[in-house]
Amino acid sequence: MQLEMKNIFKSFGANLVLDDVSFTLPEGHIVALLGENGAGKSTLMNILGGVLQADSGKIFLDGEEITFSNPKESLDRKIAFIHQELNLINDLPIYENLFIGRELRKPNHFLDHEAMIAETKKLFEEMDLDLDPQTMVRDLDASYKQITEISRAMLMDARIVIMDEPTTSLTGSEISRVFTLMRKLRDMGVGIIFISHKLNEVMEICDSYTILRDGHMIRSGLVSETSTKQIASLMVGHEVNEGEKAASSQAGQVVMKAEGLGDGRSFADIDFEIRSGEVVGFTGLLGDGRSELFQAIFGSGSQIRTGQLYLYGNAVKIRSTQQAVRLGIGYVPRNRKENGIVKDLDILTNGSLVTLTRRRKNGFFLDEEQILKDFEAQKKDLHIKMEADTDSILSLSGGNQQKVILARWLSSQPRILILDNPTQGVDVGAKEEIYQIITALAQKGVAVVVLSSESKEITRIASRCYVMYHGRILRELKDQSLNEKTIMQYATGVEE
Amino acid sequence: MENTHKRFNFITWFREMWTSHPLFSTTCALLLMIILQTAALGFDQGSFGEWFSIWSRNWINILRNNATIGIIALGMTFVIITGGIDLAVGSTLVAIGAIVMIFIDSSQTGLLTQIGITGVPAAIVGILMGIIAGFLLGEFTGVLITKGKLPPFIATLGMMKICRSVTQQCMQTVNPAVPRGFTQIANLSVGGQMFMPIIYWLLLAFVMNYISKHTAFGRHVFAVGSNERASRLSGINVERVKRSVYAIMGVLVALAAVLQVSRIGAMDYANAGNGYEMDAIAAVIVGGTSMAGGKGSIAGTILGVLIIAVMNNLLNLIGVPPFLREAFKGVIVIAAVLLQKKEKTA
Repeated sequence: MQLEMKNIFKSFGANLVLDDVSFTLPEGHIVALLGENGAGKSTLMNILGGVLQADSGKIFLDGEEITFSNPKESLDRKIAFIHQELNLINDLPIYENLFIGRELRKPNHFLDHEAMIAETKKLFEEMDLDLDPQTMVRDLDASYKQITEISRAMLMDARIVIMDEPTTSLTGSEISRVFTLMRKLRDMGVGIIFISHKLNEVMEICDSYTILRDGHMIRSGLVSETSTKQIASLMVGHEVNEGEKAASSQAGQVVMKAEGLGDGRSFADIDFEIRSGEVVGFTGLLGDGRSELFQAIFGSGSQIRTGQLYLYGNAVKIRSTQQAVRLGIGYVPRNRKENGIVKDLDILTNGSLVTLTRRRKNGFFLDEEQILKDFEAQKKDLHIKMEADTDSILSLSGGNQQKVILARWLSSQPRILILDNPTQGVDVGAKEEIYQIITALAQKGVAVVVLSSESKEITRIASRCYVMYHGRILRELKDQSLNEKTIMQYATGVEE
Repeated sequence: MENTHKRFNFITWFREMWTSHPLFSTTCALLLMIILQTAALGFDQGSFGEWFSIWSRNWINILRNNATIGIIALGMTFVIITGGIDLAVGSTLVAIGAIVMIFIDSSQTGLLTQIGITGVPAAIVGILMGIIAGFLLGEFTGVLITKGKLPPFIATLGMMKICRSVTQQCMQTVNPAVPRGFTQIANLSVGGQMFMPIIYWLLLAFVMNYISKHTAFGRHVFAVGSNERASRLSGINVERVKRSVYAIMGVLVALAAVLQVSRIGAMDYANAGNGYEMDAIAAVIVGGTSMAGGKGSIAGTILGVLIIAVMNNLLNLIGVPPFLREAFKGVIVIAAVLLQKKEKTA
């Protein structure tokens, strides 16, 4: 089945989001849909999924013109949209998740579990999957959850599957599992639209690509005829220049030191030193315990049961986040949506949440002028693109939301800044900007800790890095040994 | 859209306000109620002066009768914005009322009368004790919710049962007399009208509104309700914010209890305050505060209290039987939330 979207226009108010965009999905192809945040990818796919309607333009399926006015009509045409946030119910087994809303019934109207299990088994066999339909979704790892979503699409005989950033929460081996399935589907003649920020994956799995920028179709072609570098520069519209990183020579005093930290569960025997003015990376694969470690250090996770933490030379025990803040630690958590942004508050309040208690006059009332001044300064330093301070935080793109969270912490002038996955869901251009902000902070003497599973990110900004594996620090890497290859080697647990 | 700038277009202006200002529809509903209520009151008086005096007396009655609920609803707004709920307010009102009455008791066996303290000092001690009791009850509820990790619904449901039952048991044989002076707190008449409860309510509303908008605590209340995790990770003491919200609720209930005791001069431990929690929650909801937390305002709550109050008055004026009036309250709550939903999708 071949899909063509021709000359699609779409605007929200005065804002033209899609300007004459055309998109083709040849039969049995995996097409990468690429573009920075706000380029119009989601809008285009929401039109295909029937969630939004185009202002003008046509959609053809196998040459037949079709229109959708709601998601159901799109589904009826065998187009399945797998959203980034999976739509699974953890407390139900796989087969019930697959049949949800279309359960098979016996003549007496009770659920026909046997038939549903049998159908699921048959489907899994066709898809070459070794998976028990009766497993609870809760017990699946992230890749099998993704696979369950894909199976649901296949159960509906989907001919076209849209996958929105399916690999963000997956580890290397999980990704290859999903990719195997995607290739299998392609061989079965299913067309897949793959939305991703990870260009390496695009090169690996996709046959062709389409790049959007600011609502325009920039280029489409075969993946075999291009390179990641070329795609990246087409996405951004200019060469992605990789800036400098903080030199390890400028490192000063040891500000944070850990001796044998452990929480009895997620991490153990953690020793490290962090100096002011340096950027230290912590990396590893999912389940390495780095996030849990720094959550515990920041006083928001599990209790540290063994070992001792030293700050600025003094032994400390941090019991609450407010104590951590008082000690000069800043912490930008992973998963911005759940842990970072406060969705009902405006941009200004989101950007000043940490310092509200410090900006007081007469002891009790907020010093609103000072708060505004602080935020304006951060806005300028961080190049936050926004309209009014009183707009909702949700009106900003992912990169700008992340910058607002950074602003929240920078106005408290932390001496140690912990950044967990700082460029998650941030587009290529904003990513580089955030790297530059981090480098500038280190140059001002802040000790920056960056937690990331992207080895490329670590080699880009960190002057030193600790690789963790199953809750332990396996190796400290610096200078020549700090490269993507060695990181990968230790992260996967290979000692030598 | 262009046209609105050149020529004032009421319909587009109205639609714009309706969708972009959360309190606009609430204000419209209140205005509609007031128009209907004024019409129901009739215009068959001899002169405008006569009509106005009846109209304004009716209004003072409405406001005064709703001052207690109004004060409780102020605290409830904060509680609901943090994503919680307080079902105990009606019972704590009775418990605190009893404590206040024990201290102000002017009979021979009164606690303070026996040691020679009467009059204004006794009243002050009584009020202070009431406030302290309210604060402690609220703190305790807060500790149950934060340290005990109980859902607010359950913690306050428990408190609701405990407070009323214990008060009824303890007050079986005690029969405190409320001194005449104390009743003046609520019933002091200025120019033939008893304004005082209205003034207390508006004063407290002003203070609470200011706290919600211009203090770090106020912003933290919204932040905790909207995203508790993000608030904690931003160094906000989430536990303290939650405890404080229930403590403030307790203090406001104490003030409402003082007002109630003063206004009526006695307290019916079995029935006083019954249903206040639901009336206060209804007012907060009608005023546009989200049960999910994170969104709401004191101004909205005032509008909510007024809408329900004016509607009750209207139903009374047009002679709707008392049993049916609660049904209208239910309709208003449901309609208000439906309207707020529409605003979001529009």
